[in-house]
Amino acid sequence: MLLVVLSLLLLTAYFGEAPNGRLHGIQRDFLTVVSPVQDGANKALKPVRDLFSWFGNTLHAKSQLKQALAQTEKLRRELVAEQGERRSYHELLALSHLDQLGVGDYRPVDATVIDKNPNVWYSTVTIDKGESAGVRRNDPVINSEGLVGKVAQAAPDGALVELLTNSAMGVAARIGTSRATGLVQPKVGDPNDLLLQYLPTSVQPNPGEYVVTSGTVTPAYPSLFPPGLLIGQVTSVNEESAYKSVNVHPVANLHNLDIVQVLTAAEGTRAANLSALTVSLPAGQSTGTVGSGGGEQLASTQVGG
Amino acid sequence: MSGASTSQLAMRLGAFALIVVFFQIGVVSEVPVFGVNAELCALLVAFVGLMCGSMVGAACGFAVGLFIDLALLQTLGLTSLIFTLLGYGCGRLRELRDPQNALTPLLVGVGASALYYVGYALMEFMLGVDAPVSFQLLRVVVLGVLVNTIAAVPMYVLTRRALEGAMPEDPRRRRRRRAYTTGGLSPLSKA
Repeated sequence: MLLVVLSLLLLTAYFGEAPNGRLHGIQRDFLTVVSPVQDGANKALKPVRDLFSWFGNTLHAKSQLKQALAQTEKLRRELVAEQGERRSYHELLALSHLDQLGVGDYRPVDATVIDKNPNVWYSTVTIDKGESAGVRRNDPVINSEGLVGKVAQAAPDGALVELLTNSAMGVAARIGTSRATGLVQPKVGDPNDLLLQYLPTSVQPNPGEYVVTSGTVTPAYPSLFPPGLLIGQVTSVNEESAYKSVNVHPVANLHNLDIVQVLTAAEGTRAANLSALTVSLPAGQSTGTVGSGGGEQLASTQVGG
Repeated sequence: MSGASTSQLAMRLGAFALIVVFFQIGVVSEVPVFGVNAELCALLVAFVGLMCGSMVGAACGFAVGLFIDLALLQTLGLTSLIFTLLGYGCGRLRELRDPQNALTPLLVGVGASALYYVGYALMEFMLGVDAPVSFQLLRVVVLGVLVNTIAAVPMYVLTRRALEGAMPEDPRRRRRRRAYTTGGLSPLSKA
């Protein structure tokens, strides 16, 4: 009975306090102490993990190869077309003086995933780089395939990364060929499916199209993520009354993350200022609040009307 | 239980729980089976309750849950609450029913996994999840219970081996064993 009451007290206190409160601080301190042990255990258990993964990967390898070859051919054709469009895009961007955050504002930090939380409600991973490497809360996290998530909490020698499939995540995004933006959110319980919501009904998305981060569309609704980071591919389109939504398959294999890159913002850049601003906001409005929809809720408000 | 055996049980339980938690977050979480991951910690807490009673089960559940919440930066108190209730419930099952059937570990594994997944989902709904909840959640719960059922028997054997010699003796079980070996009657009543 005592333990149940204690758990409820902890739950209430934790849920009610700000992200920089005492209990959150204890968690960060605990992570600092435990992360070297986790790192060691992760390295020791890697052969076991690799063995299990090898069986799984072998089963899927044949179908994946066929898929990859077809995709490579398609991408090669698209690349040629994209190069021309890209030049025009940059010219237009410069002409319209949009207050965009470019990837150049970020300094990538390589990190190794040391732990993964398999819980369907908390799609998170722990990485071995923290504040000492310049990693801060809300920094975008990518891997070689595309956007992976963002830093939810940072300790001196480790950080917690919320994956795209975390129930608290939301990312402002657009379909590659369209300028209309929406909000990518996970579907709880389905790690292979994301939902791009609040698209105008006039948009005609096609299955197979790529979904990328939209970045900051207007200065009033800044986004934490730089524009153009690949999120996934459209799998199907849902017809709804006021808005259109599409199902998106994430391109990054979130089940098997090993090496990731944290896009840390260099001091004094607009990205760093935006990140600092969002951290300082009270709980519920903060773009990086664990358990909230993230700064991309601001973007969604704008998108949604 | 004497002080020495209590401390021996606590030490063994602590070491074994630590190994299981690190194995869970280091290996099991990286290897999805049928698209879901086994939840060994829930099975551990359930079996500790089943073998050692409600108090030890609840304490073990609280400690393991708190460790997971702290290490994985989850909502503090959530896993510990569910694991405390799980450990206590399985402990009470032992104290009230003392099931001796060979299928008991399997059935307890199924029940504990189902309670864990459903309990967690309910708590998350109550705490307010603002993402759309897919019908796939039901699939995850069903498959999660199935995968845990497969892992239940090996986990039971491992837990039993890890705690062997340090488990508390249940007086009712001892009486029953004595009655069985003496043909249902104690030597005193025979005389």
